[in-house]
Amino acid sequence: MSIPDYMQCAEDHQTVLVVVQPVGIVPEEEFFRIYKRIASINQVSIRDSQRLLYIRYRHHYPPENNEWGDFQTHRKVVGLIAVTTCNSAKEWPQTSERFHGQKEVFGPTLYDSRLLVFGLQGEIAEQARTDVAFYSSYDKCEDVEKRVEDFVESIFIVLESKRLDRATDKSGDKIPLLCVPFEKKDFVGLDTDSRHYKKRCQGRMRKHVGDLCLQAGMLQDALVHYHMAVELLRSVNDFLWLGAALEGLCSASVIYHYPGGTAGKSGGRKPSVSQAADAGKRHRPGALTTNGISADTSSEIGRAKNCLSPEDIIEKYKEAISYYGKYKNAGVIELEACVKAVRVLAIQKRAMEASEFLQNAVYINLGQLSEEEKIQRYSILSELYDLIGFHRKSAFFKRVAAMQCVAPTIAEPGWRACYKLLLETLPGYSLSLDPKDFCKGTHRGWAAVQMRLLHELVYASRRMGNPGLSVRHLSFLLQTMLDFLSDQEKKEVTQSLENYTSKCPGGMEVIALPDGLKLPPVPFTKLPIVKSVKLLNLPVSLRPRKLKGLLGQNMATKSPFIYSPIIIHNRGEERCKKIDFQWVQGDVCEVQLMVYNPMPFELRVENMGLLTSGVEFESLPAALSLPAESGLYPVTLVGVPRTAGNITVNGYHTSVFGVMSDCMLDGLPGVKTSGCVVEVVPALPRLQLSTSLPRSANSRQPSSGEEPSSSVSVQLFNGESQQLLVTLENIASEPLETLEVTSKMVNTKEKVFGEFLTWDLDGALSQLPLKPGQTVVLTVNIKVKLDFSGQENLFQDLNDDGISVTGLPISSPLRQVLKPRAENKPMGTESGKPEYNQVKMLEAVLHFKYSGGQGQVEGYYRELSLGVHVDVEPSVFFTRVSTLPATSTRQCHLLLDVFNATEHELTVSARNNQDVVLHASECQRMAIQVDKFDLESLPEPDEERLRFASPRQLEEERQQVQGCRINAELGLVWNIISFAARTGEASVEGVLNQLVLEHLQLAPLQWDVVVNGKPCDCNIIAECSVGEMVPLEVRLTNRSKNAVGPFSLNIIPFQDYQNGVHNYELQDAVTFIGSNTFYIDTVKPTEDCNCAGALLFLYAGDFYLNIKFQDDSSCGRDLPLAWFCLPNVHVKAVDSPF
Amino acid sequence: MAVCIAVVAKENYPLYIRSVPSENELKFHYTVHTSLDVVEEKVSAVGKVLVDQRELYLGLLYPTEDYKVYGYVTNSKVKFVIVVESSNTSLRDNEIRSMFRKLHNSFTDVMCNPFYNPGDLIQSKAFDSVVSSMMVQAC
Repeated sequence: MSIPDYMQCAEDHQTVLVVVQPVGIVPEEEFFRIYKRIASINQVSIRDSQRLLYIRYRHHYPPENNEWGDFQTHRKVVGLIAVTTCNSAKEWPQTSERFHGQKEVFGPTLYDSRLLVFGLQGEIAEQARTDVAFYSSYDKCEDVEKRVEDFVESIFIVLESKRLDRATDKSGDKIPLLCVPFEKKDFVGLDTDSRHYKKRCQGRMRKHVGDLCLQAGMLQDALVHYHMAVELLRSVNDFLWLGAALEGLCSASVIYHYPGGTAGKSGGRKPSVSQAADAGKRHRPGALTTNGISADTSSEIGRAKNCLSPEDIIEKYKEAISYYGKYKNAGVIELEACVKAVRVLAIQKRAMEASEFLQNAVYINLGQLSEEEKIQRYSILSELYDLIGFHRKSAFFKRVAAMQCVAPTIAEPGWRACYKLLLETLPGYSLSLDPKDFCKGTHRGWAAVQMRLLHELVYASRRMGNPGLSVRHLSFLLQTMLDFLSDQEKKEVTQSLENYTSKCPGGMEVIALPDGLKLPPVPFTKLPIVKSVKLLNLPVSLRPRKLKGLLGQNMATKSPFIYSPIIIHNRGEERCKKIDFQWVQGDVCEVQLMVYNPMPFELRVENMGLLTSGVEFESLPAALSLPAESGLYPVTLVGVPRTAGNITVNGYHTSVFGVMSDCMLDGLPGVKTSGCVVEVVPALPRLQLSTSLPRSANSRQPSSGEEPSSSVSVQLFNGESQQLLVTLENIASEPLETLEVTSKMVNTKEKVFGEFLTWDLDGALSQLPLKPGQTVVLTVNIKVKLDFSGQENLFQDLNDDGISVTGLPISSPLRQVLKPRAENKPMGTESGKPEYNQVKMLEAVLHFKYSGGQGQVEGYYRELSLGVHVDVEPSVFFTRVSTLPATSTRQCHLLLDVFNATEHELTVSARNNQDVVLHASECQRMAIQVDKFDLESLPEPDEERLRFASPRQLEEERQQVQGCRINAELGLVWNIISFAARTGEASVEGVLNQLVLEHLQLAPLQWDVVVNGKPCDCNIIAECSVGEMVPLEVRLTNRSKNAVGPFSLNIIPFQDYQNGVHNYELQDAVTFIGSNTFYIDTVKPTEDCNCAGALLFLYAGDFYLNIKFQDDSSCGRDLPLAWFCLPNVHVKAVDSPF
Repeated sequence: MAVCIAVVAKENYPLYIRSVPSENELKFHYTVHTSLDVVEEKVSAVGKVLVDQRELYLGLLYPTEDYKVYGYVTNSKVKFVIVVESSNTSLRDNEIRSMFRKLHNSFTDVMCNPFYNPGDLIQSKAFDSVVSSMMVQAC
């Protein structure tokens, strides 16, 4: 006996063995259908004895095992059911013959047999035979079960008779010696009459009777017989049979203790706890009473005594196995006993002892085993280990079995079987093929053995001819075991992966195996490893902005508070999902990933793109190549949203080594993300800007972040203007409907006079809406006016002439004020030079706000900015300004020290004035006669400004306006001679101080003197004749805000001899008609007052009238002196012609 | 002396495994891995009976043809497994015990290292040298 039945269990000892076999040609399918129906009759209760007969069916049974039937009767084939197809009566004899042939095989042990004939009809089929049943077809055989039951009953009758026959063998009769096949030759020539021999015969027979009793359902009797057999056999040291008797005892006890069976899953036994127990209890085997050896089998006490306790069962099993172990030829018996014991232990949950039995079973040598038997043996070991909860051990043996399937000695390796077995080992190695189980934290598992298993799976699936599976397993290996692979292994694995994918690219679909296992896709989230995902805002110039009003509304609905920390906390979570910028439909959006290549070689990632949901998104995949063991490496993935709405970036897809992966962000551990949801606003137009001036590199940027998208730079001399043409082209598909331009100065440390940038938008606006592809041109004037005069301390030497600027009348306006300065020293030293030559910088940003299309409807606009950077070089500036009163009170002289800070020769001209030529670094004084300004009449700032601006600001502003006015009046222009085109304004605004301004201003009290009906001012000579009365009128116009006066004026005539001598002794030359003193009463604002008198010149000559204030007027002292600037009146008296 | 020494984490993955270089390393992986079944069985069996006075030393886990596998489990369920050759009869239970005790002491030192994260593979040189002292000197 060489073929173990690994499925055996202890309760099989009480079954009778029936072989069901096909005879002739029977379709396999049909045969197994019938076999199943037959096998369902596995326990039959015998009509009149309340006993149960258990039947074990086999469709295949090796005849040599049958030879051990005497040793353990459940191994004996006692019944044969043959199934055959017979279509015609002609075939019948042949079929019948075959059936008899089949019977011969198990001939000596058979109790009974049956033949089930299918397909035969007619005469033969109608004859009633007990051993043959005819059915017309496989479908019409309703009474098969009935037939089988009858058959079983007939077996029982034989069994019962045999049992009775053996049991009643008188001890006096010669008891035959039962033996196992290999013993037969040992007993040749033995003395059959010795006591020893007799005892052996007796013991063996007892054991045999015990077996029969057990089969016949008489558990109690069986126990008794076994006990006696044990005693008998122990005394004669018949170890093999002693073992069998002990095992029988164990089996019977197990059947008693565990009526549910020990086979576990294969327990075809109906759960009949009470039935089995009752069967033992109620049964009164009266037949046994005649047995001479029989003891008190009927007592309950005896049964409890006879039956082994659960612990004893194991002890006895151990003993039995140790006896079996003495015989090499009983290996199968020993192995089966081990298996049975393990099953019992599994029920008892004694895993440790079970493992010992199994350990023992592993070492039982059954001689030469075929490969198939080895596989079977390993599988069963694995199953048994699994049964006792040793999953790792189970997996180990299953793997060994799998390897056995494809052992090199096998001609046709069973890769499929191997693969299937390998898959079954997965749980034992705590390995699931779902990569999701591995993405949480670090890998926790026995990497070395898991890796080995995965490699084997890959190999097996490849040999199976399923490259898709290999790719999946290899991807899984690479993804989950990456940390455990050595550099060399990484190379090898990826190489073979590339080989496989060249035949069968890996994808994201679930692979379903025929046996129902589903292999989930394996996304390569570690190739490359993504550390952070950041959605990028659009470039500044393309960002959509919400119109202020709408934005305010939004904010207002959220909270009544301007700021509250609580709200920020509440929003915290919301914010981490939704990002507070927007993308625009139709515009390229970017997501930045920081990736890391963990491989020791260059990693080529192809077709890397974004996976999104929410809106239609056109992903533009990228291919990248990451260097070996790269550090964090930024990768920008781009795409274009095609519709508006909220877009969620769910992940990215890659193609690495030919495997497509969809990596979802929420499944990635340790990925930093600042949120993945962003709003996509409807499409907006997009402007492209080009300028007539060269672009400058964005040099340094203010930290405000609002950096202009582009900037132009130009170099200008102070006071120069330049035109900048800005061409705007709409390059999006939406029409441009609105355009606004604003400008803002940046870094204005410098005081700028006048408007830096001016433009006229009307021309451009008339071209709106701007269709895609169209352009609009905007002209921007750049005008720089800066104050460079801060460095006047260098020019002390111009002040040495001591010109007073107090503004007191100087009688001689003709003095030379234009002093040529040819002897000017070279300005400054070398070190001083850069100080005044320094270039100042002026920067401003032009903002173009534009909108259109659907985005405008939603209240969004875009802003394009253009930085304008001007390096201002000093041109001319005024180092010093002073005034001289002119002869007329309505005018004055403005003295300007003009300095040419350029390196070029230039001319400076004022309005109505001659040019002054200045060499490089030359300073000259120029005098300009100007009309005084009525600065009071300048428009007052409006109420709004008044309220918000500080007085200081107001004052500054006022000065600025005044300066502007003065500047415009002066019209000072410079012109660099060498560059004909470069001209510019020279501005005095910066240098005008309060004093100068006061002098330039028309006094609030306006004095007019009218002589002889003729208004008289400095240079006008009033003529009159001697001896005639000359009327003199002085008019005061009050333009100040307050009432002035009263004043008294004293008129003093004098003569100027033009040599510095004034003659005031003119009592006899001039006489006053009336008083020489005028009194002016209080003059209210905006009113005027006239006082008139008359003079009489007695001699001809040139006379001057000096109108002086009388000091007695107290209130006059409060007012500034300059207000009382009365003109000197020049009167020429001529002799009247006679 | 031992041919393989392994430290297995509470979650049953190896923290440290070292075997004599001459042998097939994977074989020892399998040996230690399958021995965990027995360890678990023993630990759970002990847990049922005597909770407080537990013996850390688990004794012989199972013998194979060539090797004997001994186990030891700390109170934090970290397992130590020592594989010795069956032919080496000079090793008595007491020696195995003392080996485990040494191993445990060294392991405690490793755990005391503030730079060691529990659950990481053990890379301590001190531990390595202790293990080396217990291993069969490959000749």
